[in-house]
Amino acid sequence: MAPSSHPAVFTTQTPYPLPPQMFMIPATWSRYQLSQLVNKALSLAKPIPFDFLLRGDLLKSSLADWCTQNAVGEEETLEIEYIESVLPPQKISDLPHDDWVSSVSCRPGQRFLTASYDGQLRAFDYSQNQTWSSPIHGAAITSFCIVSSTSADSHLVATASHDLTAQLTEISLDSTEKTKPLASFHLHTAPLSHVTSNSTGSRILTASWDGLVGLWDTLVPEDDEVPEPATGDRKKRRKTQENKPKRKAPLTVLKSHTARVSSVVFDDGKTAYSCAFDSTVRLWDLEHGICTNTITVSERPFLSLSLAPSSPSTVLASSTDRTISHYDFRESHPASLLILTHPATPSCIVRSPNHPHQILSGAYDGAARIWDLRSVKGATPVASFKAWDGDKKVLGVDWKIGGIVGIAGEGGLGVWKVGEGS
Amino acid sequence: MVPDLKPKSKKRKQADDDEEPEPATFRAPVETLEMLSDDEGGEDAASDDGQVDEFPEIDAASDSEDEDVVEGSEPDEEDNEGTDEEDFEEEDSDDSMDRDIFPKPKTIISDITGHPKRVYPEIEPDYDSDSSTEDAPNRVGDVPMHWYDDLPHVGYDMDGKKVLRPARGDELDKFLQTVEDPSAWTSAFDKTAQMDKPLSAEELDIIRRLYGNEVPDAGYDPYEPMTEWFTGKGKEEVMPLSAAPEPKRRWVPSKWEKQKVMKIVRAIRQGRIIPSKLKTTSKKEFYAIWSEPSTSHAPPLPAPKPRLPTNAESYNPPEEYLPTEAERAEWEALDPEDRERDYLPKKHSALRLVPAYDRFIKERFNRQLDLYLAPRIQRVKLNIDPSTLIPKLPSPQSLKPFPNYKSLKFTHSSRARCISVSPDGAWVISGDEGGVVSLWEVNVGREVKRWKFEGKIGALEWCPRTDLSYFVVGIEEALHFVVPPNLSPSVLLLTQNLLAPATLPPAPETPSPVKWVTPPTSSWSSDTAILTVHLPQSSGLPKQITWHRRGDYMATVSGGGTQGGVWMHQITRRHSQAPFKKIRGAVQLVLFHPLKPHFFVATQQYVRIYNLSEQKLLKTLTPGIKWISSMDVHPSGDHLIVGGYDRKLCWFDLELSDKPYKILRYHTRAIRSLAFHPTYPLFASSSDDGAIQVFHSRVYNDLMTDPLIVPLKILRGHTVKEGLGVLQVKWCARQPWLVSGGADGTVGLWCS
Repeated sequence: MAPSSHPAVFTTQTPYPLPPQMFMIPATWSRYQLSQLVNKALSLAKPIPFDFLLRGDLLKSSLADWCTQNAVGEEETLEIEYIESVLPPQKISDLPHDDWVSSVSCRPGQRFLTASYDGQLRAFDYSQNQTWSSPIHGAAITSFCIVSSTSADSHLVATASHDLTAQLTEISLDSTEKTKPLASFHLHTAPLSHVTSNSTGSRILTASWDGLVGLWDTLVPEDDEVPEPATGDRKKRRKTQENKPKRKAPLTVLKSHTARVSSVVFDDGKTAYSCAFDSTVRLWDLEHGICTNTITVSERPFLSLSLAPSSPSTVLASSTDRTISHYDFRESHPASLLILTHPATPSCIVRSPNHPHQILSGAYDGAARIWDLRSVKGATPVASFKAWDGDKKVLGVDWKIGGIVGIAGEGGLGVWKVGEGS
Repeated sequence: MVPDLKPKSKKRKQADDDEEPEPATFRAPVETLEMLSDDEGGEDAASDDGQVDEFPEIDAASDSEDEDVVEGSEPDEEDNEGTDEEDFEEEDSDDSMDRDIFPKPKTIISDITGHPKRVYPEIEPDYDSDSSTEDAPNRVGDVPMHWYDDLPHVGYDMDGKKVLRPARGDELDKFLQTVEDPSAWTSAFDKTAQMDKPLSAEELDIIRRLYGNEVPDAGYDPYEPMTEWFTGKGKEEVMPLSAAPEPKRRWVPSKWEKQKVMKIVRAIRQGRIIPSKLKTTSKKEFYAIWSEPSTSHAPPLPAPKPRLPTNAESYNPPEEYLPTEAERAEWEALDPEDRERDYLPKKHSALRLVPAYDRFIKERFNRQLDLYLAPRIQRVKLNIDPSTLIPKLPSPQSLKPFPNYKSLKFTHSSRARCISVSPDGAWVISGDEGGVVSLWEVNVGREVKRWKFEGKIGALEWCPRTDLSYFVVGIEEALHFVVPPNLSPSVLLLTQNLLAPATLPPAPETPSPVKWVTPPTSSWSSDTAILTVHLPQSSGLPKQITWHRRGDYMATVSGGGTQGGVWMHQITRRHSQAPFKKIRGAVQLVLFHPLKPHFFVATQQYVRIYNLSEQKLLKTLTPGIKWISSMDVHPSGDHLIVGGYDRKLCWFDLELSDKPYKILRYHTRAIRSLAFHPTYPLFASSSDDGAIQVFHSRVYNDLMTDPLIVPLKILRGHTVKEGLGVLQVKWCARQPWLVSGGADGTVGLWCS
């Protein structure tokens, strides 16, 4: 049988476009040959590996196999989109912790900041040394975010904890200065699950198990806005007496969720999204404190929420039925655009800082997966890597420009280098 | 009278001659007589009696045969005797036949050999026998003998030679013969031999009887004694008929009857009685026998048509039908019963080369065997699709959500015997046999707090109140009330005020063996219990702690002690009491009814339902389980599931019967734990086979509809250790998530 060939047209959104021209591609070719073809046609000085998308499906085998699987005839013209392929992620370092790490941030320059279940914030530099640590909460910290940074070493950090409060702390990663708790946020009657701040660092949102979302500003009040209860945990009181934060009340309480709010994100300064265990994703108008749009699905308790890269008003939400769903709020009846199926519970999502289509998800089977949202079939991730051996859960991920990925979880913190093609 | 008769008979003779022209009739009346006597000999004898005078009148309209009889009365004695003689001979032969059908042999000494031998009498040929053996020389046949009157011979023998007339003497010779031969008067003339033959004694006897007007048959006895069949001695009528004269009313028409009939007749005439309609309707009934078949019987099945022969069965099949060597070997290797077809295609170039069918005899024999052995009944074949017998259950996919994968697991160092989920569904406590109680978050699986107690943890349970937050841990002879950390201040205050109030409630009048102890406020810490209830000595490990839904009453079941080990604790009053003074059987489990003041007590084999307010036994359920291991009540309170160590799971509809509505035996080992979901229509059972089975259990408010129980999912993931599998399952409130504790020390969370 003579080797058949397919007519194909190449399209791309990368800065390496091919002239619009029909190619006859041998059916036996797979990704490698196609990538070589593109490189040769462009006569690039340094070879760039490409991945190829056929009708939203990432080409993994030969063209002939793909055609038989998708029942595409030999004479049909294939439209092949090529993207810069993700290099296999490489592990840079492994930073073990005493306790589970719930959240990680790569935002401070040359540092990693981690929040742990023992209530401590820790900082690591790129040479794997723990440079700084400070106990912030008496209970587990479930989430933290860097609100604003005054310099490379001093940051304003908001932490959410099991002790029913969130706290605004000024930290200085130089070990000389002490951490300064500025304000504690008193609204919730159940442990907090998530805290986030907007890009300017003027607003903070907290999500809690009691179904409330609190909106706070970052101004530190002069005096306690919430009176201290008559009796409390004496241990906490004793600890906080030395350097007592101001007790702060929320600007607005966003009430609509009927179950635990698991995650909340700012869209822009005026709107925010939240997802909860009541299987809803809500869009909030922060100025008026009302819910303006709701996506209700059946029996999909959401665990984590992220804005979708490069497409406004769409969010990605992971749920306990082992899927990540992509929802578009612009439609009148918001529906799931695509569903990324995981083998285990996906606990956290982060979007790529500069790539317009990639997201990273961490799951309870200890693996982090990079997905390309153009690959609409959604069955297979672009890259998948196991952060730890064994069955240790991934609880938080962060992705920094430059391909640095921090993976926090049961096994501590893992730092990986993800190739972004550039 | 005779002369009168003559002219008439003459006239008739003329008429007779007209009919059959016979010239010898006049001249030889003897021959005519003989002819007739051959036919009817009996009547000839009667004609000699002298009673002939009656005949002519009767005979007036009769046919010619009767006339001949009249004629026969004329001839002389001699001729008459001749006919009689012949008759006698016939009679004689008949008689001899009748008497000895099988002649007896005589034994004589043979002259030649000198030995005795049997000699049978000569067989006398009858008219039955072949006449050819007769030694009659004259073979002239049945012709009138007067034809030979003028001829020298009387006929022909077998060879066609003339049989000459024997010499007959004249009248003198005849006379002399009668004189010489004393038997001459008993001889008669033989017409074919034309000579006299002596009559036998029997013939003579018949003649004598006929003359004596007797019955000719000598063997017939007309005076036989009467056999009394119906009358006679012993057969008399018991009720003799009356001799009274018949009364008059027997034959006079009844006056009263007439009156009654007339009354009816008059009534009919006046229209007072309307005679009933005629039963028979004039309308004929028609049966449309062709239009529709009779429905009472199914029409007999047509015989199955034999399958048409295919190409492979041809004597000259195409090449592609011929088996290859491998196929042939495979076919031959199979048992004849297993072969797909019972022949192998063979190719013959011509039909005349086809050999005889080699299995003909065998197939016929098998067919005979079939006919012989097969019962001759029409078997009603149940033509049921097996799939229709399976009850129609909805697909598990349509009954989502239900737990279907293990989301995370939490590991203990020893058997995780008891678990409990907080009423808000956010926290799990799990206790192991090493005395460790861990509090962990449902969704992350991170242990937040750990308590260590002395000895095994027997049971633990969260208080179902949502405004408070504490749980009870049961260890050997004590119950510890523990407050979890990270409570909001108001909840914590409320909990502390409940469990350790500043002013203790008044002590009950009757001292209880159960002691409620609160440590002093100064020694409180999150690591120790805020309240401890000391159960009486030797009560053993609490096997179960169960709460009333309001969260004020709590029942515990301990392994040992009196009263079945059941204690009822009231938190607000800090008081414990034993609800049963004495109870039959070892109590396994107790449960509060979710809505009514009812109390379920499961002993080894029975479940008893008590009304706590009226303090009486309501019902005893018999699940038919040898040893009950677990029990749970549906949130509606109308249904109960009971599991046993003998792998049975019984569903009771409490409205209906004491017997289970449904018995499920899906586990391969003993059932350890059962749990209904508080809100979703789900229940789960866990077993020592290491599997958890999740069922959909929809209960309808409509009393007519049975509960729908659909097996949904078998969750495997726990390893069986030392024969123990999954020890306890609990549901998360608000979510269709399941928490299971196994003997392998892991506690798993199963998410939908």
